[in-house]
Amino acid sequence: MGKVIIIGAGPAGLSAAITIAEKGLDVLVIDEYMVGGGRLLGQLYEEPNGNWWNGIKESKSLVERAKNAGVEIQLHTPVSNIERIDDEWVIYTESEVHYTSHLLLATGAAETPLPIPGWTLPGVMSVGAAQVMTNVQRVKPGNRGVIVGVNVLSSAIAMELKIANIDVACITLPKMNIPTEKSADPMEVMNSLLHVSHMAPSAFVKLGSKLMTNDFMKRMGITFFPKNGVKMWDIPIMLRKAVVEIYGDGKVEGVKIATISPSGEVVAGTEENISADFVCIAGGLYPLAELAAVAGCPFYHIEELGGYVPLHNEQMQTPVEGLYVAGNITGIEGAKVAISQGVTAGLAIANDVLGGGLESNIQQAIADIETTRDNAYIQFHPEVKEGKRKLQQYWEEHQNKSVAITL
Amino acid sequence: MTDNKMIICRCEEVTYGELVETAEKFGCTPRELKLRTRAGMGYCGGRTCRSAVDSIALAATERDISEITLKYQPPIRPVSFGKLGDVTK
Amino acid sequence: MTNRILNHPVLDPIDESEVVTFTFDNKEYKGLRHESIAAALLANGVRTLRHHEESGTPRGIYCNIGHCFECRVSVNGEQGVRACLTPVQEGMNIESGGKLLTTVRDWRASQNG
Ligand SMILES: Cc1cc2nc3c(=O)[nH]c(=O)nc-3n(C[C@H](O)[C@H](O)[C@H](O)COP(=O)(O)OP(=O)(O)OC[C@H]3O[C@@H](n4cnc5c(N)ncnc54)[C@H](O)[C@@H]3O)c2cc1C
Ligand code: FES
Repeated sequence: MGKVIIIGAGPAGLSAAITIAEKGLDVLVIDEYMVGGGRLLGQLYEEPNGNWWNGIKESKSLVERAKNAGVEIQLHTPVSNIERIDDEWVIYTESEVHYTSHLLLATGAAETPLPIPGWTLPGVMSVGAAQVMTNVQRVKPGNRGVIVGVNVLSSAIAMELKIANIDVACITLPKMNIPTEKSADPMEVMNSLLHVSHMAPSAFVKLGSKLMTNDFMKRMGITFFPKNGVKMWDIPIMLRKAVVEIYGDGKVEGVKIATISPSGEVVAGTEENISADFVCIAGGLYPLAELAAVAGCPFYHIEELGGYVPLHNEQMQTPVEGLYVAGNITGIEGAKVAISQGVTAGLAIANDVLGGGLESNIQQAIADIETTRDNAYIQFHPEVKEGKRKLQQYWEEHQNKSVAITL
Repeated sequence: MTDNKMIICRCEEVTYGELVETAEKFGCTPRELKLRTRAGMGYCGGRTCRSAVDSIALAATERDISEITLKYQPPIRPVSFGKLGDVTK
Repeated sequence: MTNRILNHPVLDPIDESEVVTFTFDNKEYKGLRHESIAAALLANGVRTLRHHEESGTPRGIYCNIGHCFECRVSVNGEQGVRACLTPVQEGMNIESGGKLLTTVRDWRASQNG
């Protein structure tokens, strides 16, 4: 019996590894980053109960627990391909090939860009890049930034920049074009923001709950939305302005913003320059499922989960033999949900390797995912549960189809 | 700078104008659009621009929700041939 | 190194004890052990890590987590190394840009579809 292999040392991969190792099995976790913890590393926020969720500490404790349980963690190791040969998974890294009967993909998420003229200039980075620079590498992404894209992630990271004493000039929308369409529509953005109002103090909450009532009020809200924005942690959030260009000679020197109509069109003649030495692009997250795709796993596009997700059941098992998934690869959610999913996948794998006996633990773990989801502080999509329901339905259809074919 | 000159695929420097024009001219699916313009075929494997390329093609064609529009090809991280050789030997 | 966040109100102080010296395009810089090449260069005010191979436009980090490959540099002669996920080390000889691993690109071109 060989070892179980897990790709991704984020919260999902590490918690799965701990779970499996605690059942007495050998586990190898492979990750290309320089420290364990994945995107949990950069997270930092104060929970409603006053405790700080410190991603560095949480990551350290997961890595510690994994090591104590006997998990082997191989960092600095990109996986470039996986394939099933005979009854084994073959995992290709730059220097080595690994084999396993049970493979867990916990590769997390990637960021969706919002293309803006000038966005290849040095100093323009994804908002997650600024998060990692600030909280993990502890180097300022710059002295004064503009965040383009108003959503949960950008609001959370704006606050993190603020805590680190980095000036954020404003958070605003991108100019509308085909790829940025939804992120550039003030109404859409307003709607999607209402479910994060718990993260924002006073002004926004008040405004938000007032606008909540009906479409007419929302339209009014957007129409009369203060041109200079409402302030959240002292950072102006501007839903009636958009960045039309990022300028600079060889590096970012500022952005050109313009006033936009309630439906997102630029009002001619309103352009003004805001100086900045860095720009963050916040277009949201999508599941990073490339390895599941090259492995031949079926996929479904589910908006509520952030895009294409590999088909899997409640036990995190895909229809491809010996292939499991957990964490943000299955849909965009916070780290705590990723941890619960990791535990579930870990139990399902251990159960399969050991030939049964963990069924009730698995049921409990599945129930825990639900509870964690219900209590999540950060929710990337308000209808994530609906997304999970759709996925379950696709799974059942897929199972029925396979049964029909075998019959 | 106009939107038409704006880069979408950072690796291959394919512009918005080029993509929109190609999509309109050929009524491309995302995959066709990628092959015609090279957007998403560069060094990063399309991880950065795939959603943007998708959206431009899908402005005129329908998304198949049960099939990834822009397929992934291994290796999903660039590997030099020397190293590939070592591995498969 | 004024661009570092030394005293963070919530996070622990960073370990500044181990300083490493490295070169980037033949110029000498100092960085901290356990930080990425990209972070060490940014702490020294360097944003441009390479120029686009065809157009020559300057590029720096974009994703900072290994996905976009915009930060690729050559390290001690090895090309295509991602500066955002490679720890800086004493004596490292880092060069910006470098040519593409053409084999990979040609390989992709023939395989895509
Ligand atoms: C940039 C960014 C910022 C985020 N910020 C927040 C936030 O502030 N708050 C929040 O609640 N959620 C945030 N998230 C969501 C985050 O994905 C989850 O909170 C959680 O970290 C998901 O855990 P995971 O284990 O599924 O994946 P991750 O934590 O993303 O871990 C995946 C790991 O897999 C590795 N990996 C991927 N592909 C390969 C490969 N081919 N070879 C080797 N290793 C590979 C990666 O290096 C990474 O370490 C963020 C996500 C991203 C992408
Ligand atoms: S900045 Fe994207 S790979 Fe390094």
